[in-house]
Amino acid sequence: MEEKLIAFIKEEFLSDPDIEINAGTKLISKGIIDSFSLFSLQAFIEREFDKKIPPPLITAESFDTVKQMVEIINKFC
Amino acid sequence: MIIGIQFYSLLIISCLVYWLIPKQVIRNYFLSAASILFIFYFDRYAALFVLVLSVYTYIFALLIQNNKGKIFYHRAGVAGLVLVLIAFKYMGLLNGVTGQLNKFISVLPVFKIDFLLLPLGLSYIIFKHISYLTDIYWGINDKGNFINFILYSSLFTIFVAGPIERFTRFKIEAERENKFSPVYVEESFQRIVYGLFKKFVIADWLGYFINPVWINHENYSIWVRAAALFGYSIQIYMDFSAYSDIAIGSSRLFGFKIMENFNYPYFQSNISQFWRCWHISLSEWIRDYLFFPLSSYFNNKVWQLFFVPLIAMGICGLWHGPALHFVLWGMCHGFAIFIYQVWMQIKRRNINLSTLSNKKWFTQVSITFTFVYVTLCWIFFR
Repeated sequence: MEEKLIAFIKEEFLSDPDIEINAGTKLISKGIIDSFSLFSLQAFIEREFDKKIPPPLITAESFDTVKQMVEIINKFC
Repeated sequence: MIIGIQFYSLLIISCLVYWLIPKQVIRNYFLSAASILFIFYFDRYAALFVLVLSVYTYIFALLIQNNKGKIFYHRAGVAGLVLVLIAFKYMGLLNGVTGQLNKFISVLPVFKIDFLLLPLGLSYIIFKHISYLTDIYWGINDKGNFINFILYSSLFTIFVAGPIERFTRFKIEAERENKFSPVYVEESFQRIVYGLFKKFVIADWLGYFINPVWINHENYSIWVRAAALFGYSIQIYMDFSAYSDIAIGSSRLFGFKIMENFNYPYFQSNISQFWRCWHISLSEWIRDYLFFPLSSYFNNKVWQLFFVPLIAMGICGLWHGPALHFVLWGMCHGFAIFIYQVWMQIKRRNINLSTLSNKKWFTQVSITFTFVYVTLCWIFFR
C-alpha cells in the first residue's frame, strides 16, 4: 500500500521524480500537496483500495504522511 | 453582541456558577440553559429556533445512526436544513432575482416572504448541523448525548460569530470531566483583551479613516482610494479575527478549547494557503462538505478544476449574506483557486518553473501578489 501511495504522489504532485519521499515525509504541511488537490488523492485511494476516506479525515494533522494515510485507510474499513 | 456588556455579565456570572458545579454533565446542562437564555434575551424567536432545529437534527441523527436507510435520512435531514436556510435567509434575494427576470419572461414564480425574519446565528447553526449529520453518515462520529448536542448548537460564546466548530471535536471537550484551572482564566483573559484591542483600537480606528472615503469615494484621488482599500483589507481581518479571539477566549473560561479560525492569512504565498488560514472553520467546512462531494460528482477535469471552485466559493460568498456581490466575491476566489491549480499542474511538468518557485524572492512576490488579489476582491465584499 505504501509503495503504491508513494508512486502516485510522485507522479501526481512532484515535478522532479528523483525527489525522494518516504512514509514519513510531510506532504500537506510542507505544501507538496495543497488542500484543494487532495481530492485526487482521495479518488486514487477509492479507485485503488476501494475505500472512500471521509474528507474531514484528510487534513494536515491526520493525513500528512504516507504512514498516517495507511493507518487511516486500514482503520477505515 | 459578544462585545456588549450583557455578554460579559453573563460570561462572568455563568463562569462562577459553572465551576461551582461538581459534575461536568450538570455543568453542560447549566451552560446550555444559560446559552438559550442569552439567545432568548436578544431574539426570542432564535432561541425557539435553536431548540426546534436541534430536536429536528437529533432525530435525523438517530435515524442515520440506526443504519437502515441512512442515505435517505441523511439526504432528507440535510435537505430540510438547507430549505430552512433558503427560506429564512435567501428568499429575499431569490425574490429580487426572479422579479428582475420576470420583467423579461414573466413566467417565474414570485416569492412573498416579507413576514420571515432572519433568526440570530442561523447560518452558523445550519452549517454546524449539516456537518454533524454528514459526519454521522460518514461514520466518523456518533450522535453523542442530546444535552451535549444542545450545548454544541447554542453555546453562547460561539453562537453568533463562530467559529463553525465540529461536533467531533466539541464532543471530546464536552465529555471530558474537567477541573478548574487558573490557566483557563489567564488564557481567556489574554485572548479576550487581544480581541478587544484588535476590534476597538485597530479595526474601529481604521474605520474612522476608511469609511468617509468609501462613502464619498468620488471626492478622493485614486491614491487615497487605494489606501482606503488596503486599509479595509486590514480592518476586515482585524474585525473578523477579533470576534474569533473573543469567542475562543470566552469559551476557554469554561475549559473548552475551540478551534482556531485565523492563522496569518495575509502572509500566505498562494490562494490555497490563504484559505487554509482565513476563516479556517468555514473554509474547512466548504472543503469537506462542498468541494470534495462536488468534485466526486463528475469525473471530469474541467468540472473539478474550474466549476467546482467557482460553485463552492460562490456558495461560500453567499453564506456571508443574501446578496449577489457576496457571490461575486466568492467566485473571484474560486477563479483564483482554478488559476492556482492550473499553475500547479504546469509547474509539476516543468522543472525550471518548479526550481524558480522555490526561490525566496519568488515566495515574497507570491505573498505580495496574493495579498493584493485578496484585497482587490474585498471591493465586491463591501
